[in-house]
Amino acid sequence: MSARTTGLAEQQAMPDRSPIRFLVFGLVVVLLSSILGVRLFMLQVANNVHFAALAETNRAVDQAVASTRGVIYDRNGLPLVSNVPSYTVKIRPADLPEDRRADVVARLAALLNLNPADINIAIDANPGSRFDLVRIATNVDENVANFISESQLDLPGVEVVVESRREYATGPLLSQVVGYTGPINESELAALRAEGYLPDDLLGKTGVEAEYEAQLRGTYGVEKVEKDATGRKLQVLQTVTPPVAGNSLDLTIDVQQQKYAQQALEWGMSTAGLKRGVVMVMNPQTGEILAMVTLPTYDNNAFAQGISSADYAKLVNDPNKPLTNHAISEQFPPGSTYKLVTGTGGLADGKISKTTQLITSAFLQLGATKFFDWNRKGFGACTILCGFAHSSDTFFFQVAAMLGIDRLAYWASQFGFGAKTGIDLPGEVPGSIPTNQWKLDTLGEPIYPGEVYQAGIGQGYDVVTPIQLINAYAALANGGTLYQPQLVRDVKDAAGKIVQPFAPKVLRKLDVPASVLETMRQAARNVVLVRHTYNLVDLPIVVAGKSGTAEFGLKDSQGRLPFHSWFVAFIPKDPTVTAKDPTGMAAVSRTDSDLVVLAFAYDSGTKGNVATEIVKYFLQLRFGITKDYRNFNLLVRGNFYQSN
Amino acid sequence: MGAINARPARIADWTSRSVGTIWRAFDLQIATYAVVLTLFGLAMAYSNSVAGGDGALATGSVFLRGLLWTSIALVVFVIATAFDYRWLKTLAWPLYALQVGLLLLTLAIGSGLGGSSRWISVLGLQFQFSELAKILMIIILANYLSARRGQMGSLWNIIGAIVLAGPPWVLVLLQPDLGTSLVFGAIVVGMLFMSGASLRWLGAGIMAVLAALPFVWTYVLLPYQKERLTSFLNPLADVRGAGYQLYQSQIAVGSGGWFGKGLTNSTQNQLDFLPVQTTDFVFAILAEELGFIGAMVVIGLFVALIWRVLVGGWRSKDPFGTMFAAGLGSMLVFQLFVNVGMVIGIMPITGIPLPFITHGGASLISVAAGLGILESINIRQGRAEW
Repeated sequence: MSARTTGLAEQQAMPDRSPIRFLVFGLVVVLLSSILGVRLFMLQVANNVHFAALAETNRAVDQAVASTRGVIYDRNGLPLVSNVPSYTVKIRPADLPEDRRADVVARLAALLNLNPADINIAIDANPGSRFDLVRIATNVDENVANFISESQLDLPGVEVVVESRREYATGPLLSQVVGYTGPINESELAALRAEGYLPDDLLGKTGVEAEYEAQLRGTYGVEKVEKDATGRKLQVLQTVTPPVAGNSLDLTIDVQQQKYAQQALEWGMSTAGLKRGVVMVMNPQTGEILAMVTLPTYDNNAFAQGISSADYAKLVNDPNKPLTNHAISEQFPPGSTYKLVTGTGGLADGKISKTTQLITSAFLQLGATKFFDWNRKGFGACTILCGFAHSSDTFFFQVAAMLGIDRLAYWASQFGFGAKTGIDLPGEVPGSIPTNQWKLDTLGEPIYPGEVYQAGIGQGYDVVTPIQLINAYAALANGGTLYQPQLVRDVKDAAGKIVQPFAPKVLRKLDVPASVLETMRQAARNVVLVRHTYNLVDLPIVVAGKSGTAEFGLKDSQGRLPFHSWFVAFIPKDPTVTAKDPTGMAAVSRTDSDLVVLAFAYDSGTKGNVATEIVKYFLQLRFGITKDYRNFNLLVRGNFYQSN
Repeated sequence: MGAINARPARIADWTSRSVGTIWRAFDLQIATYAVVLTLFGLAMAYSNSVAGGDGALATGSVFLRGLLWTSIALVVFVIATAFDYRWLKTLAWPLYALQVGLLLLTLAIGSGLGGSSRWISVLGLQFQFSELAKILMIIILANYLSARRGQMGSLWNIIGAIVLAGPPWVLVLLQPDLGTSLVFGAIVVGMLFMSGASLRWLGAGIMAVLAALPFVWTYVLLPYQKERLTSFLNPLADVRGAGYQLYQSQIAVGSGGWFGKGLTNSTQNQLDFLPVQTTDFVFAILAEELGFIGAMVVIGLFVALIWRVLVGGWRSKDPFGTMFAAGLGSMLVFQLFVNVGMVIGIMPITGIPLPFITHGGASLISVAAGLGILESINIRQGRAEW
């Protein structure tokens, strides 16, 4: 070390220092601090307004406030759904580091008792951006929710929020009608984003929940909330616009009748060993649906609570399609119930009159092909009352041939076949009615006379939905007005004020003289009177209707086709059988019926018509008939072919 | 080594002067500016602790730790003032060994964020020895340069200074601590300039460094360092990524206005929008809460402090004192400009703390030691003849 301390004398000598360099150094200090000062002035004073606004934006963000979803009641004010608070676990993918994702998903799966694959699917199916929350589980137990809230370090990106969940009081009883809400998907979000839907929104997925989504949802509000950098809401600063609660719906459904209908259908199905069935009850004076049961069913609460992919796959893969509303979303051959169209057309077009007799026989022959009546003896000379009552196929072959395929199709369209009824449910299918042109267009050849025969008895190319069939018989019962079936009576706002009152919607007045329909109603009553429907006539109420056995599918080894069973009935307003009108013919001549019932049994194969028995059981329950008229012996299964 | 022989003379010199003389030589302005700046730092620590939500006096709060470090720094300042700085010349080589040793130790057992090793825990408190290394670097260079006064026209003496600074510089860069290594560079350049080093060679050296930048960029800098360095050019390009801090920092500063939002009222801090607000970005919160006036008061205090440091250097008859003041002044002005410049978006993010204001014991204690040594130099000189 050469620079060791030396004596005082040396220290007092002028050290080697340059004033210029001190000056330069000082100037550099002044220059640099001036730069800082100028820049600070620019930021803090000149551009203060701009940055203050940015700081405010950081702090206050506009956030949507969910509105209270409208409630759904039955026609008597019984609540079918309520909103319950539920702990929901969500993930913000942007806050979940990719290298920890597997670990976090595994932990969450264990905590929530979920399949890790389901969590991954939910994250990957996120319709929003990575900064939007993804719903992982709803209806989480409070203790689990609290534990997750407190485990932020182990579960980055996971948040627990309280949101409103739908709880369906009636569950499986009305799942296909009421539907359910579920998380919005990518295509729905794309369509609805402009209307204020959020990436983690819930919306009606099916049923009335979906059809009346706009009414039920209400209007989301906006509030300014203070948030920290992690997006945690600290406090509400200001409500910009308050949310407006959604409107409530009063359904036309009567839960009591729905229960009766379900009870009757379940009995018939379990007794006859059936897999699918429909029962519908309708007021023919207004088009109101009082009951709509389709089995098998499912529990819409499972969806509202967040269904696992395994449970969902089970429902989707069930061959009997529990998620499908068989009353509106599937079409079947109507069988003999369709003879209403053929008979009405024949009378209205003057091809036959009420008294015209046609010879019914074992079969009609076209070239080499024999078209058999279900009754291999025939019924001899028959009027429309006789032919309809006994469901004589050869009678209606002849009427169909007189009408021709296009007139037959015209009358079918008059009754609403071949077009959607417009019922306020998603997923309705239109069915199909053949015309000559239709056959040329689809199959490239004209219709054959044999096919006209088939079309006249509801076979061949005829396919209808149960809702179309009940609606057609409703038009018969009310004297010729075809209504649009409706499920919602009225729409009320949150204060209970009716904002959309019920009004029947007329699709058309049938182009049929009243006398023709009166004849057909009497024919339908005659079906019961001649005991074609067994002991239905013994009931203390007047019932008129038509049964049907509709072949479908492929022949078995003995050349027999499987078949569905139908029965559609209408009951006059004061149905009690009186001494003055022992046959009930006077009652059915009136047009005051307020009750139409339909039963459909898919692939029934029973000895007797199971649909008739189901309707009978429903009527016993509906009218409080204590004596049991059910014929259990007719429900033996085993492919008894009979075209009734 | 003549240290032992010289000792009696120094003691005689010290004791021969009256307390009054010593007191007059003590630069009260330096102490005052330093104390006021420290109080600003404590105020920010208080504000930050309140923002943390646990209260200023909660165990382990930034404010309590700030108070503790301030007390230690005060003691260090007093000891450094009382300590005869001339011993530092004697102990220059052992101090050099100590500096390199501490930096090696930090590399070996230190901890830090993201795989770096910057801190060593001392008695449960994290201590960043690279801060202390800055002061040691100034001492060693002051010793080297003062011994070669009048000979700094020589390239070899310039190279000698750079070689001397080399090992600690490399060790700091290895941590990796880009900020401290840049401060080392500023100290070396500032001291060489003030030592009268040939401007030709100094200029050539700076040109050489500039020429080497592409090489450094490609082979020395780590990706995150590059990202931080470039994000300041256009912070809005990636507001949620690397530009986030800069963007939020400018929002904090800009929203302060003339008088600020008031202590503890920063929304940027309170709501955690500004990451690392307790360390390198604390000046942003200061500017937000105390406004343009407050920020300029702090910058003014720094300028005044650096001015008094330079005055001390000018007055020192001992070239070591002049060189030490030059080094300390270089360090202070560089850290002020780079830290505040970073906060207000005119300098890249380099992780350089703002003395007094940035929370952290090592920085405060190192500055206290530096200022104490300067006071020690002040009171051990006669008044310079102007």
